[in-house]
Amino acid sequence: MKRLRASSTLSGMTAIAALGIFAIAGAGCRHSDSQTVALRFWNGFTGPDGRTMLAIVKKFNAEHPDIQVRMQRMDWGTYYNKLFVAGLGKRAPEVFILHADNIERFARAGFVRPIDDLCAGQDGLDVSDILPNVWAATERQGRHFGVPLDVHPFGMYYNKTLFRKCGIVDAHGEAAPPRTRDEFMDALAKLTAAKKPNGDPQTWGMVFTWLRTNAATLMQQWGGRFFTPDYSACALNAPENVAALQFCVDLVQKHRYAPPPETYDSWIGFRQGNVGIVFEGIYMLGDLRRQQDLDYGAAPMPQIGPLPAAWAGSHVLCLREGLDDAATRAAWTFIAYLSNHALDWCDGGQIPSRASLLKTDRFQSMPAQSEFAKALPHIFYMPRVPFVFEFQTELDIAVEKALRRTASPQAALDAATARVNEIIARHTAWSAAP
Amino acid sequence: MNARTWTGYAFLAPYLLLFAAFVIAPLFYGLGISLFEWEMLSPAPPRFAGLANYAEALHSDRFWKALYATARFVVLCVPLTISLSLAAALGIHATPRVRQTIYRAAYFPPTIISISVAGILWRWFFNSEFGLFNALAAPFGVKIPWLSETSLAMWAIVLMTLWWTLGGPIVVLLAGLNQIPRQYYEAAAIDGAGPMRRFLHITLPQLRPILLFVSIMNIIGSFQVFGQTFMITRGGPEHSTRVLVQYIYETAFTNYRMGYGSAMSWLLFAVIAVFAIIQFRILREDLQ
Repeated sequence: MKRLRASSTLSGMTAIAALGIFAIAGAGCRHSDSQTVALRFWNGFTGPDGRTMLAIVKKFNAEHPDIQVRMQRMDWGTYYNKLFVAGLGKRAPEVFILHADNIERFARAGFVRPIDDLCAGQDGLDVSDILPNVWAATERQGRHFGVPLDVHPFGMYYNKTLFRKCGIVDAHGEAAPPRTRDEFMDALAKLTAAKKPNGDPQTWGMVFTWLRTNAATLMQQWGGRFFTPDYSACALNAPENVAALQFCVDLVQKHRYAPPPETYDSWIGFRQGNVGIVFEGIYMLGDLRRQQDLDYGAAPMPQIGPLPAAWAGSHVLCLREGLDDAATRAAWTFIAYLSNHALDWCDGGQIPSRASLLKTDRFQSMPAQSEFAKALPHIFYMPRVPFVFEFQTELDIAVEKALRRTASPQAALDAATARVNEIIARHTAWSAAP
Repeated sequence: MNARTWTGYAFLAPYLLLFAAFVIAPLFYGLGISLFEWEMLSPAPPRFAGLANYAEALHSDRFWKALYATARFVVLCVPLTISLSLAAALGIHATPRVRQTIYRAAYFPPTIISISVAGILWRWFFNSEFGLFNALAAPFGVKIPWLSETSLAMWAIVLMTLWWTLGGPIVVLLAGLNQIPRQYYEAAAIDGAGPMRRFLHITLPQLRPILLFVSIMNIIGSFQVFGQTFMITRGGPEHSTRVLVQYIYETAFTNYRMGYGSAMSWLLFAVIAVFAIIQFRILREDLQ
């Protein structure tokens, strides 16, 4: 009996302890005092970019004693799920980051606040300074849903050591990145001239890292569309897209300039110095900077097809719907501050969205960023459809099948088009329903 | 009920409460959702759809492909896990005490590594152009397309899974081996039984309930495989390793089709339940 009593006391104590923990957790959510406005700021900057952002937020808090921003970082892989669920439950943070591609689906769910009325005020943010094509990426049905903090276009990284070794140099003997299709093909041929006994080149000319963005960039360079202009049907199997995909297939299968696609880890090959050229986003810069023994260069995306084009994305600063005036004003002050201080942010591997910041000496002295920024007039974003993820899945599998020769580019893109049209039909059906 | 029973329930209560709130309740909530067409992207409320989501799954080649990939993983992985962990447990059991600890310590650590870390590591090991395994094999002129061939990728996942999960079953089987009375072996040895006969007629029958238990848990766990494929291949190449849980995850949490995702979860649940019931039957008969 004695033992029994002891055990019940123990479980009682455990219960009390558990309640105590809940109580403490609950207390943390309360606003500390009525004069300061507390803002929550969510993003997916879990890498070194997160430390940069945290430093900016700390500086903001120090300079604005009436506003306290608490930043929470979570992995992009789970970020959108958490944000979406929080938004549906009306518990979304006051300020959060959305990738421009995602604005359509989140705005549609109804918890992102349009900001056009705030831009009209004189609160320290001149939106006319934002590059028009980047600003347009935040627009939906005539309203804008956030302030693009940055823009991250696709571009070219190249291995200077390999370039010099293979004689891809300018008049001064410096590595010369290709700018046209002929130069590109010539560079790949030189990079892969030396073969291993099994016929593979000793170093690869290029690798496909992220299939989707690589293929989409070339499709746009060939003048292809992803949808009909009114988005009522998918146009992935347009002849331009097929031709662009065929070009990618030839790089792997016919010329053997690139290995067959594998996981995203082909990027490691570039870091190891076994690959001459890779097309990637400016956000990979941080990864290369850590690689002390790699002599790399950055250049804008070469024009391989008939038109210049480079895929891009943007981190957009968004506001939650349903904030009171004080919170809205505080959040807008914070957003304007981040936008005005975008150069601090971009130093780590981003490009500011503001024309005035692009012109500064400080930005022009960032070697990779200023090179990649040359593609800004020709960037494109993924289509603004609510089912963009499903669309991208179909694009991914089509490109993979073509590169692995499971299907011809035409057949692969035909299949993807049929699938995407099914998705469109499903979406139309329940959008039309009462 | 007397005080003793109450204490029992009191001890169970915290777990039971959490289990009911976070497992049982969502399970049936999910069953409800599976009967609705609920697209979270739409501001429109969910619509009752009857069994339409189940019909869509059963008519979808993507669903069957994902189920096939899952079944393939189970068929490849479970027998290997059981036989290798049994072999390892027997080997460890046969070594003297001090060395046993060392071997046990050697097999167990991978199981406590998180799948994200293990996945990133093995993804690089397997990379056919720039990875560790092919770099080691290169001097012999061997180049294995670990992750880029649809026929091989699942084997690669299985290999990694064995490394990652073998420690658990080994510990359980070792505990089982330690429980077999020594006298049985001594008696058999006196009667002139060799090692093979001792294994077949003493070890295996004595270990049977534990082997069954390990198999059941392993099969249930294997049907729910997700982390390994998601981290290493993302379901590729060409969806050949996209298992059902990944497909459900993408459907529900990337495309926000809650009803369809829930319906597929329940179909997976039904498959696992059938296997579990069969095995528990066998286990019960065995114990009786």
